[in-house]
Order: sequence, then structure tokens, then C-alpha cells
Amino acid sequence: MTDPRAPRRPLEPGSAPRIFEASGLRKTYRLGAILIEALRGVDLVVTRGEFVVVAGPSGCGKTTLLNLLGSLDRPDSGSVLFDGSDLGRLTSTGRTLFLRRKVGFVFQSFNLVPVLTAYENVEYPLWIDGLDRAERRRRTEEALVSVGLAGRMQQRPDRLSGGERQRVALARGLVHDPRVILADEPTANLDSTTGAEIADLLARTNSERGTTFLIATHDPAIIERSPRTVRLLDGRVVSDQCVGLSGPGGVR
Amino acid sequence: MKFAVIALRNLARNRRRTLLSLLIVVAGTIGTLLTTGFVRFSFEGLREAIIHGGIGHLEVVPRSDIRESGSIAERPGLPAMTGWQEVRSEIEAMPHVLAAGAVVQFTGMISKGERSAAVLAVAGEPERERRMRMEVKLRGGAGLPDAPPAEGEDAVLLGAALARHLGAETGDVLTLLGITTDGTLNALDLRVTGLITTGVQDVDTRIVRMHLASAQRLLGTQNITSLVVGLDDTSRTLEVETALERRFRGRQPSLAVVDWKTRAPFYGQVESLYLGIFWFLGSVIFVLVCLATSNTLMMSVMERVREIGTLLAIGTSRAQVAAIILFEALWLGVLGALVGDLLGVLLVAGINALGIEMPPPPGATGGMELHLATAPGDFAATVALMAVILGIAAAVPVGISVRLRIADALRHV
Repeated sequence: MTDPRAPRRPLEPGSAPRIFEASGLRKTYRLGAILIEALRGVDLVVTRGEFVVVAGPSGCGKTTLLNLLGSLDRPDSGSVLFDGSDLGRLTSTGRTLFLRRKVGFVFQSFNLVPVLTAYENVEYPLWIDGLDRAERRRRTEEALVSVGLAGRMQQRPDRLSGGERQRVALARGLVHDPRVILADEPTANLDSTTGAEIADLLARTNSERGTTFLIATHDPAIIERSPRTVRLLDGRVVSDQCVGLSGPGGVR
Repeated sequence: MKFAVIALRNLARNRRRTLLSLLIVVAGTIGTLLTTGFVRFSFEGLREAIIHGGIGHLEVVPRSDIRESGSIAERPGLPAMTGWQEVRSEIEAMPHVLAAGAVVQFTGMISKGERSAAVLAVAGEPERERRMRMEVKLRGGAGLPDAPPAEGEDAVLLGAALARHLGAETGDVLTLLGITTDGTLNALDLRVTGLITTGVQDVDTRIVRMHLASAQRLLGTQNITSLVVGLDDTSRTLEVETALERRFRGRQPSLAVVDWKTRAPFYGQVESLYLGIFWFLGSVIFVLVCLATSNTLMMSVMERVREIGTLLAIGTSRAQVAAIILFEALWLGVLGALVGDLLGVLLVAGINALGIEMPPPPGATGGMELHLATAPGDFAATVALMAVILGIAAAVPVGISVRLRIADALRHV
């Protein structure tokens, strides 16, 4: 098992390039006549190559924070800088290209396209980005092998176990070599053993590829593998702990 | 991997719903084919009935008989076309011309004993009429003999309704009165050889047909009213008309060429009526197919909101999402139309084999056997039409899918 806590890169904020820099993020949802404040002014800095867990109880704003960082939604106020660029200024095309090239997503319910095989699901992001067939094949097979699915490439999602589906989802998120993976409760729909395997796979990928991971979860299997845990409560950051460091992580 | 393939696989996910959508498209296609076939049958049947009922494809007349509007003026009392044998020789030497028959038309009075009636007399050449595939519909007796009748052996065919009015039967001798070229009244005894119908009740009450020689004897002239030209193919009408006009340019006395459509304005009215009906039925089919398939496409999209959200989240552009849904619609349209074409062909063949007799249209005296007429272009046209309809039906589902907010779509249950 890979231990992502092992010192492998600088953890101190400011010592590595910032990949995400969120300031004053606020987001309110309307549920009928009720307004729900999902985020109430969140500041967060994530540096390149970090493995960060966003933890907290259900409804604390974890998914909303990931959606704003991944540009799947827009904040009511505040800003998100990605590599120094303001995501709020992206055009529709720019946003599509950001999603296509810069980030990868892993969802709680796997969200694979059911009419595509495991291979095709993983190949899809490369195909829509216009890569040639040979390059797509090389990268797709490499990604599937890296998540341990070399023998299951031609199966459709309904013929795969939950763990295998999440591996396909991770391979799809990684195949285009994104700067960051945003994973929302990636082990919530898995049994504890499979969840631990996925948690280990995420940590190992972070360790081996240097891909930044930002994972919303309350699964201890992932939290215990994470060198940095940001805790949310009622839409606010209540703690930001880096294991092995004396002070808080990237929280300002 | 192509969007078209993804779309096809999406259709296979809910086979029952896809089958229902396909059935709607198939029904629409068959309905369109049958309607088109019926309209074409009506147009072609009426067109050929008009042409072969006596007016031919083209008519060559003295220009003095032509109105400014291009139509032929009311027939003058006396035939005015001279030197027509030479003109006929020229016409009959042209390609696609079966024959050019001389016609004399005049009005007169026919009597049997105490009963009389005003008539429209049409005199022609039976042998040439047969070469031009003209149809004289006999309701009794026999047609006119080919050879010009000798003096005292003149024969006549009576409209069936006229015969009833006169109380005349085959074999009776009637007297026809006409005005000769020098303005005197002349009479000719004619033996009734047969009763005819033109298919139009009103005409049957006043028409008589006779040999050209008999009419010329009665009117005391060798002139004719016109030359009726029969062609081997109706589609050659314009080509031959143009060639004739070119040939007659500068000729004195001046001649005009009139096509069958100008001679039968009734056809244009019927055409407008049937086209109106066709467009109405077509619109009904269009709306029904569009609404029904739009609904199923919408259901398909609404069931896949989270999946569409995922596609957007991993970098699919909104245009690409639209393309997937549009391809699904086009597949339904094209596949449904192809199946509909296949079933439509079988249905048309079955209907035609049944020999269904259609009731006579208003004013006509006889019905026609239903024979739906399809053309190869119809099948491609229905495929294109259904693709367009389904494309339109996809507009709302596409609009909804491309406006989805990704975060909302991913939360959708």
C-alpha cells in the first residue's frame, strides 16, 4: 500500500505553485421558499501535486466547493483562480476546454456512459479533444492498465462491479493527464474493502503521477491516507490540518 | 466511435420506446406515400383522360381563333383552317408525333321526329384518332367506320344523355342542321351507329361525333377547325410544342399551337383542389409525427439529465451534446422512413391488386379503378421529409439539453 503521507514534495503553502486559489466563495441555493447557504465565504489554496481531502458531514458544502473549483457551477460571490487565471472569466468554449483538458472528475455514482464499453468510456475525453486513433489507444490502454482493468476493457458498465466501475471512472479522469482530479465521495457507493482499494489507488496515483487530488469524502479510508484534511461545517472551513506539519495547510 | 454510433446505441437502450417512435414514423411515411400515390393517380388519370378523350396533347389552330389570354376563343361558326393537309404532313414527320387528326367543330340542331336539340358536333378521323390512342367510350352500338362515308351513308355517335332526350337508339336516322360557308341552312341525314359518353354529364347531353367527311359535306367546305396532335409521351408536350411554334413562325395564314392544359382549364382547377387536400393531409401527418416523436425524444433526454451533465463535466461541448440528440432523432426518422417505404410499397401493391372501384367524381358519369401511382423519387423524398420532421421534433429536447446547468444536471435523480 502506498503511503501518501510519506514526504514526497513540499507541503508548505507558498513553497509550491498554487493550482487553486479560492477567495470568499459564497453559494446559496433556493429550495422552494427556503434559501440554503451552501458556502459562506470559503478561502482555500491548493498547491500543485497536493492530495487534499475535504471532509465534513452531509450538507456541509463539500460538493458545492468541488463544483465551484471545477467550474461546474459559478459562485454567487468570490473567485476561483486556476493556475492564476480567474475561472469566472471563462467563456463557454473556454470552460469546455478547461473541463476537457485541465481537470478530471470522479463521481460518487461513477457516472459512466452506459452505452460505451470501459475502453470507450476512458477513450471518450481524448476522442472529443481530437486526438488521433493511435494516440488514443496508447493512452486509453495505459490508463486502464494503471487502474488494474487490463482484462475488462470491452465490458460495458452494467457488466462491471462497483469497484471496477470506479476504476474506469478514475481512468477516464486521468487519461487526458489533467492537472487536478476532483473526486466527489468516490468510495461512498462501495463496500469497505473495495473502498479501501480505491482509496489506495487514488493515493498511489497521486504519488506516482504527481496529479493534484481534491477529494470530498467522509470515508476514513481516504482521510487516513491524506496528508491534508480541510474540514467544512455549515459552509465554512473549520479546520485545515496537514499531517506532519505544525500549522494549518493552505488555509488563510 | 462517432456521435452517430452513440446515438444509435442510446436508441437501443429503451427498445420499447424506440419501437413506438419508429412505428409513428413508419405510419407517417406510409400515410405520405399513400397520399402522394393517390394524388398522382388522380392527376395522371385525369390528365390522360382529358388528352385521350379527344383534345390531344397539342392543337394547331388558326391564330385568329386565339384570344389575347392565349386560350382558344369560342368556336367560330365555320372552320377556318386552310391548307391543313400540308401542315399535317409536316407535323406527322416530327419525332414523338403519333398522328395529327383533322377536326371540325360546329354547333347545329339535331332532330328525331318532333324532338330537337342544339348540339355540339365534333367531326374527326377515326383511324387517326385510334393512332393517337383517343378513346371513344361507347355505351352501346359501334364506333364510326374508318373510311370516309359515301354520300347518303353518313353516320353519327350520340351522347348517351342526348340520345335519351331524343328517344333515339342505334340504327335510327336523325337529321342534323348546320350553316354552310355561304350562310345557308343545310341538312344531313345521319344513321346512329352508337351511343357514347365523354365522362362528363353536361357534355353528354349535347355532343355528337361524326366523320370529318360528313361534317365537311354538311358545311360545304374543305376547311377544318384545327389539327389535334397526339404524342407518344405526355412529357414530350412542351418539347414538341416549342418545335412546332418554331416551324410555324412567319407562316401565313398564321397558326398557333395550344397545349392540352390550356385547352382544359378544368384540369388546373382540379390540380389546385387536390394539391390543397394533399398539403392539408401532409400538414396533419407532419404535426402528428412531430409532436409524438418530440414527446418520446423529450422523455429520453429527461431520463438522461445526469448522464448529459456528466458528458458536459468531462468536456463535451454543448454542440456535441446537441449532435448526439439530433443524431438520435435522425436515426429514428431515417430508419422509420425506410421501413415505412418498404411496407408502403407492399401496401400500394396490395391496394392496386384489389382493383378498388372509385365512385365517379362530381359531374362525371363513371368511376375509375384506384391505382396508386408511386415514383422512385417518393421514397427518397419520404426519407428526407421524415429526417426533417424528426430534426424539428428534436429542437425542444436539444434546447433543454444544451441549456442544462452542469451542477444541477449532476444532482438530477
